[in-house]
Amino acid sequence: MKLFRRIDYWLHHREREAELAEELEFHRSHGDSAGLGNGTLAREDARAIWIWPWLESVGQDLRYAIRNLRRQPGFALLALLTLGVAIGLNTSLFAVFDAVALRTWPVKDPKHVVKIFSMTQQGPRGFSLAEFRYLRDHSKTFSGIVAVSDARVRFGWEAFGKATISAFVPHDYFQVLGVQMERGRGFLPEEERLEQPENVMVLGYALWRDHFGSDPEMVGKTIRVSEIPFIVVGVAAEDFTGSVEAGAEQLWMPLPAVLSFSMNLEDTRSFLTNPHDCCSGIAGRLAAGVSKEQGRGELEVLSRQFHTENRLDASAVGLTEPTLLAGHSKRKSILPVFALMFTGVMLVLLLACANVSNLLIARAAARQREIEVRRAIGAGRARIIRQLLTEGLVIAAGASALGVALGWKLPAYIFVLIGDGPGVNLTPDFSTIGYACALAAIACLAFALAPALHGTRPKSSQAKLPLRSFLLGSQVAISVVLLLGAGLMVAGVQHAHEHDLGFRVADVNVISIDLPAHSYDAKRLMAFSTQLQHELESVAPGGFGITAREPLSHARWNSFAFRLPGESDKTGHDAEYQQISAGYFGVLGIPIVAGRNFESGDEARNAIVINQAMAKRYFESQNPLGKSIITGTDTRVIVGVMRDAYLTGLDQLVPLFFQPFTGEETPHVLARADFPGAADLVAQTVKGLEARARIQSVPLSENLARILQPMQVMAGIAGALGVFALVLAVIGMSGVFAYVVQQRTKEIGIRMALGAEPKQVIALVLAGTARAAIIGLAIGYVAAAGGAKLLAEYLYGVSPYDSRAYFEVAAILAISALAAAYLPARRATRVDPLTALRVE
Amino acid sequence: MGRDKSSELLPGTLDLLVLKTLVGGRMHGYGIALHLKNISEDVLQVGESSLYPALQRLLLNGWVKAEWGASENNRRARFYTISAAGRKQLDAERNEFNRMIFAIQQVLES
Repeated sequence: MKLFRRIDYWLHHREREAELAEELEFHRSHGDSAGLGNGTLAREDARAIWIWPWLESVGQDLRYAIRNLRRQPGFALLALLTLGVAIGLNTSLFAVFDAVALRTWPVKDPKHVVKIFSMTQQGPRGFSLAEFRYLRDHSKTFSGIVAVSDARVRFGWEAFGKATISAFVPHDYFQVLGVQMERGRGFLPEEERLEQPENVMVLGYALWRDHFGSDPEMVGKTIRVSEIPFIVVGVAAEDFTGSVEAGAEQLWMPLPAVLSFSMNLEDTRSFLTNPHDCCSGIAGRLAAGVSKEQGRGELEVLSRQFHTENRLDASAVGLTEPTLLAGHSKRKSILPVFALMFTGVMLVLLLACANVSNLLIARAAARQREIEVRRAIGAGRARIIRQLLTEGLVIAAGASALGVALGWKLPAYIFVLIGDGPGVNLTPDFSTIGYACALAAIACLAFALAPALHGTRPKSSQAKLPLRSFLLGSQVAISVVLLLGAGLMVAGVQHAHEHDLGFRVADVNVISIDLPAHSYDAKRLMAFSTQLQHELESVAPGGFGITAREPLSHARWNSFAFRLPGESDKTGHDAEYQQISAGYFGVLGIPIVAGRNFESGDEARNAIVINQAMAKRYFESQNPLGKSIITGTDTRVIVGVMRDAYLTGLDQLVPLFFQPFTGEETPHVLARADFPGAADLVAQTVKGLEARARIQSVPLSENLARILQPMQVMAGIAGALGVFALVLAVIGMSGVFAYVVQQRTKEIGIRMALGAEPKQVIALVLAGTARAAIIGLAIGYVAAAGGAKLLAEYLYGVSPYDSRAYFEVAAILAISALAAAYLPARRATRVDPLTALRVE
Repeated sequence: MGRDKSSELLPGTLDLLVLKTLVGGRMHGYGIALHLKNISEDVLQVGESSLYPALQRLLLNGWVKAEWGASENNRRARFYTISAAGRKQLDAERNEFNRMIFAIQQVLES
């Protein structure tokens, strides 16, 4: 291969040039070279053989390609936009995936940093802080190990019910991770003493910039955090946005400082010291020259020792890369979503390639004569293919630039739509840009090679239409898959909106109370809550429902492991539970189907109300009333059964039980919207008990909207992909029809001259391509039906074989195909026989 | 006086001549020039500024191979050998050349 020899020359060009010089020297030394010309020039000329002709021809190809594209700006723009958007979608998704799953924490030398997990039967978990200290103090294979826990704190600028997340870390956190300080220092060993918490903190760069105006004198200042004074000792470098947990750490405090924010000192102390109190995320930096496996082995031995000493179940130790998603609790549910979305955008890219490919074939056909002329004057087939590929490359280069731009802006925009600050860095890095370029290169080969091969084939062997038909068929098939996916997801969201949840959502308000947390310990909170309940129930008996966590709340409900009397300890039964007042069922409109609602004294009786799902699962045909369940050491007696309602989430009905509200958590008050002045009444009562409290009343339907929002955005994205696919398919189909009409103008002219009806002419034009479209449709349906099962989880009860969606997609495609065929068909019927015959 | 006539040759002819020369066995650049001069009785005096680009072109196309060896007077010199592809090319070029000459003659004699 010439190209290989050329590359070989470039790789060894110094040697080769020296050889050439020596050779010329040898030649001249033979004396009779007088008048044989300029030696340097000879050398230059000889050397240029290797590079110039090629460079020149590449330049020529490029110039020619650009000129050609400029001559057909419509085609160029269409191809550029189609591919650009498709590559942009892929790049956007990759940028997000990169940020959460591939990119390592912004720390020094991340290759030696690992996340450390305890591999339990329930999946990877963190460690108790006591175990963390044991590992840190005994490990020799790690140069440092850090733990991170977090807590919600308040500066005062946060919106209602929102908090700033503070990370609580060991003193050497910044040194171990190799984080630079913008100002000041990290923590000192004496600031980690449990018995003597020091109120110091390090601010994150963003917090310092956004809320303290990048104050250069920040270090040494005292800031009140949740009304507790803290001294700022440092500001972290700009690029450090956190590590172990969410990757969205905004400020850091030494571990013991968590005591200052505690509502229950005993619990918090236990969290800091008790070996049984799990879990904090931990990470470590491997010492120089230590492999991961060595580090893991040592930690496992140490962990086993610790577990034996503290009579804990033994568990293995696992190490992962320091990325956001590695070992994340939601990893198993996030990865399939990514896989699904990657499939979607890849299909769009395929579709775009097929489309541009089809456009190129139409052009190649139009350029048949030009290509023949070029061959006649001596251009080889390979040379012409190269020229056509260069055109593809020019388009692909433009498209990848567009793609990178989209990948830069789009993900952040979508995160805003979902309304969730992801705490991830979405700025595209080299891998994202590389991904876009690689896609463009592959796409270029995919869309430009086939038409180039096809178009340069000697005329005799020119097949009639198979490539175009094949492309058209695949376009239709891919559109079907994307449209159906989108259709099903939209149907799923609609279904979820109209779904009967079994309780009143539309006209109920949730009144939340925001207490100054630092001055409320468990005892005071309980006093406040029970007093509030008492007062509200005496002003409006049955008018309010009081609960620790409202229906469809952001935070999950707690679940309880339990057993039935006579069963062993390890039954694995569990149910979610909630604390409520007697007014709860009335306000939410949930009927009691057996037994009774709560009444006074039920708390002491350990009475519970269960839902039908729990009754059915654990008591089957028996009457559950009067039966009991045992949670821990408590025996709870069932006094009532409520009708099933989707209180915890839309996906499924889980076993639920309710107990009377005890006041251990800040109450939420539910009230019917037609209860005038309910919010004011609650506000008045609350203010009477605690003047500093803040109150907010929000419709319960907002919880439903919040749950549905990511789904809605996903459905929106899927819908957008589907529409994009449809547009591409219409462009592709209309291109094929137009091409057929153009190719057969003469024939149509003759038929018209012989008296063919317009109807017959249209049938003639459509017949060939319609078959490809129908086959594509069928294949698309089969593929979509096969893939739809994967979507089932995201459909909220709509069947993946929902016949309406299938029918609608077929209708949409049929209408689109007609629309695509309309213009070319009309042109076919208007062919003037005389003009047609004069063509060529 | 010998002049560099190679620039006046028909395009591609020098390549053809070099290939033909190499059929006789491996030769260094100077040897090729000398051979062409001798065979053509001093008519073809190929200068280095034509010969070496031509040799590089032949190398690039894979029609000749080059290797270092010792010259007659034991100096280091670069020797060229014709490759199989080169022989094929020579045949093709030769036919083409004959056709061309025949055509030119036809024109001149008409």
